[in-house]
Amino acid sequence: MPVGPFGIDPAIWAPLRLIIAVLLVVGLVFNGALAQIYLERKIQAIIQDRLGPLHVGPWGLLQTFADAIKLLGKEDIRARLTDKWFFLAAPSIVFSPMIASYVVIPFAPGIVGADLNVGLLYLTTLGSMTVLGIVIAGWASNNKYSLIGGLRSAGQLISYEVPQILSLVTVVVVVGTLSMVGIAESQPGWQMNFLVLPLAFVTYFIAGLAETNRAPFDLPEAESELVAGFLTEYSGMRWAIFFLAEYGEITVVSSIVTTLWFGAWHGPFVEVFPVLGVLWFTLKTYFFVLVFMWIRATLPRLRIDQLMSLCWKVLIPLTLTNLMVTAILVLAFPTTLVPVAIANWLLLGVFVFALPYFQRRRLVALRERLRTAA
Amino acid sequence: MFDVIEPALFAMLTIAIVAAGAGVVLANRITTSALLMAFTFLSVAGMFLLLGAETVAMFQVLIYVGAITVLILYGVMFTPQSPRLYGLFFQTQKWWAALFVIPIAAFVAAAAFAFRDSATIGAKGGDLMPLATSVFRDYAFPFEVASVLLLAAMVGAIVLVKRDED
Repeated sequence: MPVGPFGIDPAIWAPLRLIIAVLLVVGLVFNGALAQIYLERKIQAIIQDRLGPLHVGPWGLLQTFADAIKLLGKEDIRARLTDKWFFLAAPSIVFSPMIASYVVIPFAPGIVGADLNVGLLYLTTLGSMTVLGIVIAGWASNNKYSLIGGLRSAGQLISYEVPQILSLVTVVVVVGTLSMVGIAESQPGWQMNFLVLPLAFVTYFIAGLAETNRAPFDLPEAESELVAGFLTEYSGMRWAIFFLAEYGEITVVSSIVTTLWFGAWHGPFVEVFPVLGVLWFTLKTYFFVLVFMWIRATLPRLRIDQLMSLCWKVLIPLTLTNLMVTAILVLAFPTTLVPVAIANWLLLGVFVFALPYFQRRRLVALRERLRTAA
Repeated sequence: MFDVIEPALFAMLTIAIVAAGAGVVLANRITTSALLMAFTFLSVAGMFLLLGAETVAMFQVLIYVGAITVLILYGVMFTPQSPRLYGLFFQTQKWWAALFVIPIAAFVAAAAFAFRDSATIGAKGGDLMPLATSVFRDYAFPFEVASVLLLAAMVGAIVLVKRDED
């Protein structure tokens, strides 16, 4: 009889491993969302000079648990004129691709659901599936605010998928593999991809903010104009599932950033204790989760036309240029990445400094024209 | 154990594809059709996975479920909804449809049952490199021609729409 890990028959171990992995991921998503909601409220409170949750448990730590229990206990309300099956299906259509994303995320050496050789493609594919759920949620609610939210989401996500995928492809061109484990292994020690491809990181992060419907791109659920966008008609646990999916997506995007640009599990002492990789990976991932929250507390929401022009007029040309330059340099200098790094840092400088300069000049010209017209 | 799972998955996917495909044509409401179409695309992606073509499966989902279906839903939501006022083409002309479909179906069935050599689909794992080399090296010219054609179609569509505004 063949013996697998822990002395268990492989025929039993394979399904058992699957069950353990699914339970772990569900636990990770649920607890992660609770922790992230707490973090989000505390960080916003600190930035806005408030105290935030304080009374339930020590430092208000149990506030989100209380909220979760409240949401579980709420009545499952469905307005009569909603489209029944679509309305009921939408939260799961948003939620399940997010759960499935965790299959390929490399937490530590050997701790990964499946090392797909198209791992990165798989993640972008699942990211694109959430749009369908949001559009259906907006449509099925039979509510104009919901519909506008859903349509905004569709336009936004389809547009921002382009710079997102182009940024990922830039990394793939340099690393030469689509497997998440392969990408993680390609950056040992301090040789993180961020040092080579900072611009791809910045463009991906911006597109990731749009992909997860986070501020400053949270137009689909803009409270000040659309009530709650596609969430308007949802309440109780169905509403909560949308939020679990949102926080899960934030974790997925942060994990992708960590894996592609910041060396995944690599950190001190990982060679000695491989399990320590989980700690480094979680710390790095949560750093980016914190950046997400920091951005939400600092930046105002974009207008829809600003959102679209940022994507089509700035990000897509920039990522295309970046991809072309990187591909040419990788082919021209197969042995060293220094030229790629120089080109990328230069392009990042162009993005960070030249863009506001041209924007300001356009604004000045616009004001001038308005003044002469008046 | 896996000898049982693969035919079972194949059967499930086949039934799902055929049933959802029929549902797309027969459903009364166009939103239901769109969603069932997304389901068909997903099942076809599952079929590609069973054949060991992961990359094709991923692109199937990325393009058809993530983009095309959303685009169709987008179009549907901007169109006035009036179920049953207009019958869909196939729902009003059943006999004509059957006349055309049955010979084609017979031909497809005959062709499908002609494939008996299952050994030709044994290339499991890593279809990425063969796909990439065939698209970007062996067939680079047809690929570029097709992309220029699509670009021309897109520009043409924009010009057609813009002309109404003037």
